[in-house]
Amino acid sequence: MEEVLSKIREVTSDPYAYVAGLKERKGKKIIGCFPMYVPEEIIHAAGLIPVVIWRGNESVTWGHAHVPAYDCGIVRSFVDDAVRGKLSFMDGMVFHVRQCLQVGEFPLIMERNVKPAYMKILYLPPIYPGDAVRSFLSDDLQSFRRSLEDFTSKKISDDSLKKSIEIYNENRSLLEKVYEIRREKPGILKAREVMQIVWSSMLMPKEDHNELLRELIREMEEKIVEAKKGRVKVIPVGCLCQTFQFDILDMIEDLGMVIPDDDLYVGSRYFANKANINGNPIEALADRYLTKTPLCPTKGVWDIHWGDEAIKKMRDNDAKGIISIRVKYCPPHTCYYPDFRSKMAEEGVPEVMIEMEHEIISLEGVKTRLQSFAETIGGV
Amino acid sequence: MGVEYKINRLAATNDMRPMVDRHWAELRAAKERGEKVGWASGPSFVFPYAMGMKCHFMAGYAAYCGGIGAADELMKLAEASGELPETCSYHRLHMGMVEAVKKGIPIKKPEAILPLPDLLVAGRYCTEQSHYSESFYRRLGIRVSPLELPFIFEKEDRPRLREFVYRQIKENVIPTLEEVCGKPFDYDRLSEIISVLKKAATIRNKCWEFFKTKPVYWTLWDYAVSMAPVIYMMGDPESIPFYERLLKELQERKEKGIPAMAPDGEKYRIYWDGWIPWAFLGKFMRKFTPNGAVCLCGRYPWEMFPHPELLDPEHPLETVADWMYGEKGLAKNMAPRESIEFISGLIEEYSIDGLVMFSSKSCRMWNLSQMDVIDALDKKYGIPGVVIEADMLDPAMVSDSQIDTRLQALFETIDGRRRR
Repeated sequence: MEEVLSKIREVTSDPYAYVAGLKERKGKKIIGCFPMYVPEEIIHAAGLIPVVIWRGNESVTWGHAHVPAYDCGIVRSFVDDAVRGKLSFMDGMVFHVRQCLQVGEFPLIMERNVKPAYMKILYLPPIYPGDAVRSFLSDDLQSFRRSLEDFTSKKISDDSLKKSIEIYNENRSLLEKVYEIRREKPGILKAREVMQIVWSSMLMPKEDHNELLRELIREMEEKIVEAKKGRVKVIPVGCLCQTFQFDILDMIEDLGMVIPDDDLYVGSRYFANKANINGNPIEALADRYLTKTPLCPTKGVWDIHWGDEAIKKMRDNDAKGIISIRVKYCPPHTCYYPDFRSKMAEEGVPEVMIEMEHEIISLEGVKTRLQSFAETIGGV
Repeated sequence: MGVEYKINRLAATNDMRPMVDRHWAELRAAKERGEKVGWASGPSFVFPYAMGMKCHFMAGYAAYCGGIGAADELMKLAEASGELPETCSYHRLHMGMVEAVKKGIPIKKPEAILPLPDLLVAGRYCTEQSHYSESFYRRLGIRVSPLELPFIFEKEDRPRLREFVYRQIKENVIPTLEEVCGKPFDYDRLSEIISVLKKAATIRNKCWEFFKTKPVYWTLWDYAVSMAPVIYMMGDPESIPFYERLLKELQERKEKGIPAMAPDGEKYRIYWDGWIPWAFLGKFMRKFTPNGAVCLCGRYPWEMFPHPELLDPEHPLETVADWMYGEKGLAKNMAPRESIEFISGLIEEYSIDGLVMFSSKSCRMWNLSQMDVIDALDKKYGIPGVVIEADMLDPAMVSDSQIDTRLQALFETIDGRRRR
């Protein structure tokens, strides 16, 4: 396992170098997709390499000449990376501007300061009732397809799109399998390793990632893991759009808790739901986007409660509590959180909220909260 | 000794407070009579209005509460019930109001309390507006009629966005209202509303002419408190005589040579970007006035039907779609690139000396790319600009010294450039 995990670490420890090198090695253009819902399959079918934009590895400096300090971490750090030229290997960028207001910061800033060769704005609508939403969404995806065809001067056939969907679906199945084994053998992977595995899927060509995952799964299946006594299972929830600080994931485990599953974006949310490869591939991608679960507060779903979903996941995994990870200045999560918390209280589910920032985080304060949470739910 | 600047206050704007008090009192009275009432976000209140349903308007009501000094208490109530302090202050204010109603908590300004709605018409201009409606649905089980209203980021996307919004209105909003009200949608009433709005906005545009003069005869703050008749009071017959009185007073001022800024008119003519700081109008006025600076136009206040000639009562639903998504629709000015073109027009028309970009810490709707917008406009016109960070309602987000320093820097930069 170590060999595969070491390759994955190589990718995620320096995504800038990895993606720049990838461009050289593959001789293909790189398209950065701002999380969370850009349908990467269409980019893949266009013969380009989609990568999911990540929260940077440095404090924001020049970026604050373009966006305020009260935008969320990934928005500020992406702008900072982009205007400092750290993302010059990206030939194109795609933004879904109706996910949250802050994504609307990018188009003008990129156009004036970065000038990517390709930039596309998607309006993917919330999942509201009525046929208008469905047909507008399909139209939006077709417009995306056409813009990529114009950029590459090549048609994207339905067949090539279906092939890309197939490759993506395989990646989703393989990641599901990794999660399944983790559920069966809690502790087989550290939480940071699981996040690195999913993150690397966002950065690597899916074909290459699938190969790595197949090897990893084979080794995971063979490995015998002894369950550690006194470990209490918890489910982390949230952390929309971005990676969580690995140190805090370590801290959760060091405090005697174990994570058998998650509801994180750089986690199970990324690979949830497959697109149907029978029929019209654009409609299949629309169907996937319109799937209401895992519930996302950016998608305008009202008839399902995120709290119910999280509790179900907790109970299915025989976990004892939920750790909400809320990114500072993330309005969708922030607005939803009071109702989420109320649901936890109604159902008597232990829950603690950790607020995550890009630069400054008081690890000692987080540790105290997590420690008392672990004791509350009967951990070590 | 320097010039001692003072604002000459308008008398006509004093009529506004009783008008808006009456407007909201009518909503309360309707509920007491057993009528169904609505709440709305975005400009979607016009649909309940057409059905004769009294309806609130999220931003308008939050502004009202800010103006009467009720916002802070309501936001604190919301925070005490679990809302997080970084949440949009309009959202928090409404959650606080719900908390007060649900638990019967008395508040110092009881006129800030509205009855809970039977229907939410949830326009989603700003993505946070859907979170607010969703919370009501989850907490109170109130029926929601959602309406996605995207900003237009690319000109070529406008026709398909217009079609999308038009279809949602036809296929979702109107049938829901018909079901809730138990009668067919009243297109004639919608036409009447648009007809009154057209007349009111036409007179209001004549008032805007008095922003173009040097010296200027009224201020953006005067206009800010006079906007309700072309927003949530649209269709109210009182809106026409109100703007007639305002216009008459401005004409008299001009004849008598009474500028907005005593003794002899303004030193700096300022463009104001973003929300109006409703809870702090006096505070902000006091920051500009002693410096001889007058704020006199802005993107948000100018979104209210600057082209009344395009309002067509004969085609009411098309008009509603077009006021947002037509060639000159307001949805395009909300995206930063298009806003540059729109603000350029205001700079030229109103002879602007400097730009103040009000960046709200709790609502990013108008904040997008403001620093790049300043840079683009500075390069185009040689006009300096600053960002000031504060909030529409939340006093905890307003830092006076930061604002004072930046405004001072702006005035000094304007002086410096004038000396060149």
